[in-house]
Amino acid sequence: MAQTIDRLEQIHIGKKGSAPIAAPGWTAKSADRVKLVDCDVHHNYRQPEDLLPYMSKFYQEHFLDQGMHLPGVGYANAPYRRTRTDLKAPELKEREFNMSLEFTQKELLDRWNIDIALLTGPPSIYTYAGLPDPDWAAALVSAFNDYTIEHWLEKDPRVVNAILLAPNEPALAVKEIHRLAHRKDTVAVMMPMLTPHLFGKRVYHPIWEACAEHDLPVVAHIGGHSPGATPTPAGFPSYYTESRMTRPSLASAQAASLIAEGVFELFPTLKFAMIEVQQMWAAPLMWHMDADWKAIGDQTPWLKRLPSEYFREHIRIGTQPMHEPPQTEQVYQMLEMLHADETMVFCTDFPHWDWNDPVTVLPKLDEHRRRRIFADNALDMLRISDDMIDAVLA
Amino acid sequence: MRRIVVAKVGEIPAGGRKIIVPFRGRAGIGIFNVGGRFYALRNICPHKRGPLCTGEVAGRGTTTAPPSLTGGFVGYEREGEILRCPWHAWQFDIATGQCLVDPDTRVKTYAIIVDGDDLIVDVDVSDFVAEG
Repeated sequence: MAQTIDRLEQIHIGKKGSAPIAAPGWTAKSADRVKLVDCDVHHNYRQPEDLLPYMSKFYQEHFLDQGMHLPGVGYANAPYRRTRTDLKAPELKEREFNMSLEFTQKELLDRWNIDIALLTGPPSIYTYAGLPDPDWAAALVSAFNDYTIEHWLEKDPRVVNAILLAPNEPALAVKEIHRLAHRKDTVAVMMPMLTPHLFGKRVYHPIWEACAEHDLPVVAHIGGHSPGATPTPAGFPSYYTESRMTRPSLASAQAASLIAEGVFELFPTLKFAMIEVQQMWAAPLMWHMDADWKAIGDQTPWLKRLPSEYFREHIRIGTQPMHEPPQTEQVYQMLEMLHADETMVFCTDFPHWDWNDPVTVLPKLDEHRRRRIFADNALDMLRISDDMIDAVLA
Repeated sequence: MRRIVVAKVGEIPAGGRKIIVPFRGRAGIGIFNVGGRFYALRNICPHKRGPLCTGEVAGRGTTTAPPSLTGGFVGYEREGEILRCPWHAWQFDIATGQCLVDPDTRVKTYAIIVDGDDLIVDVDVSDFVAEG
């Protein structure tokens, strides 16, 4: 005699949503200290028109007449609209996602006990970095920042912001920093990784100077690809997987530029995070730059210390997407090479298809590294005040 | 052993699925109808513990050769037979639980018995206790 199942929870795809697996215990919140800081949480508007109220009449006209006219992303071939397919909201069409604070609270902050989440915006619009009109680029990111304040930051103390900056015209980026730096929830600035010039170039120094003035770190996230910005010196790869393999070379070039141009001598408190660009590249960068500095340091005499020392003090690396070598212990060897207890900051990349959850990403860390990577390195980097920490622990 | 009716045959149309949690552990199981045959998989991905059975049911791209100036054919096969995990998109054969991108990986499967209009899984009482 078969018994009918009736007391178990039944979930029907398309009706009640998906059945995620609950976060295991170790991510449980603590009243004593911040345990989990996520340095890469993508947020967005629900529809582009949501930005209209935050634009001047002039740019509203612009938007309504021409749309956002963002340059096409070279890598629209990211799978599944970049997003975890279990997050599809049932009421939405196939592969549409509900990018609201409520959704992020439910699916990320509450479910995984994230203490602090750094908002990094939508990579799909990072191509503003390639907009030819610098004023429109600046108006767009300002509108996005204001939208973020009203719809995200003012509603949950766990959510903090890396204000979007358009690198197109550095003077306008500086203006945006000064406009929003007074806000407590401004804890960093966000720059797309693929910029028209390398980060160390003097054209960007005013941006770094403003960041240093306000004690804001720079979070550089992969993105910004547009027709004018090829991800490799040899042009555009065909496939998404190839485009992902270009990320370490770009991050490496940006880090080398920051170090070699003396940015950290000019701005000795500035911190710079490289997000979603893999990790391993940083080890040979440090080793090779140190060797060169010993040999040909005369060419850059303003560098007073080993390049690796600048790296370890000033540059941070996001944990996502974490390497998965066949011999898993090699990940921990890599962490050793990277001085991960100084340099690595935890990132989920929520809600993207290739996200890392906090439980399975680095399961065998010792307590010291776990604390540094999952919380303390980020707390040291981001401009987070004690009362903000009290608010999230309360 | 007890036999548990997990669904009625008509409840899960071809191409459809039903997920039941918690059942066979906290993550539950997913029951799939692939072309009229029913299969049950554990709703937890052996890669990174994602909710496997909530993923998209699809096929996969196939080809005879890389793209080249002399041709190269790209097709699509096994439509409706493959489950892609919603986290990281690893593919699994719904019928066997075999992971298609890693020969050493498979997801646990359960036998489904069709008895008249009932879809039945054999269980023991411990299946009702959430694991871990």
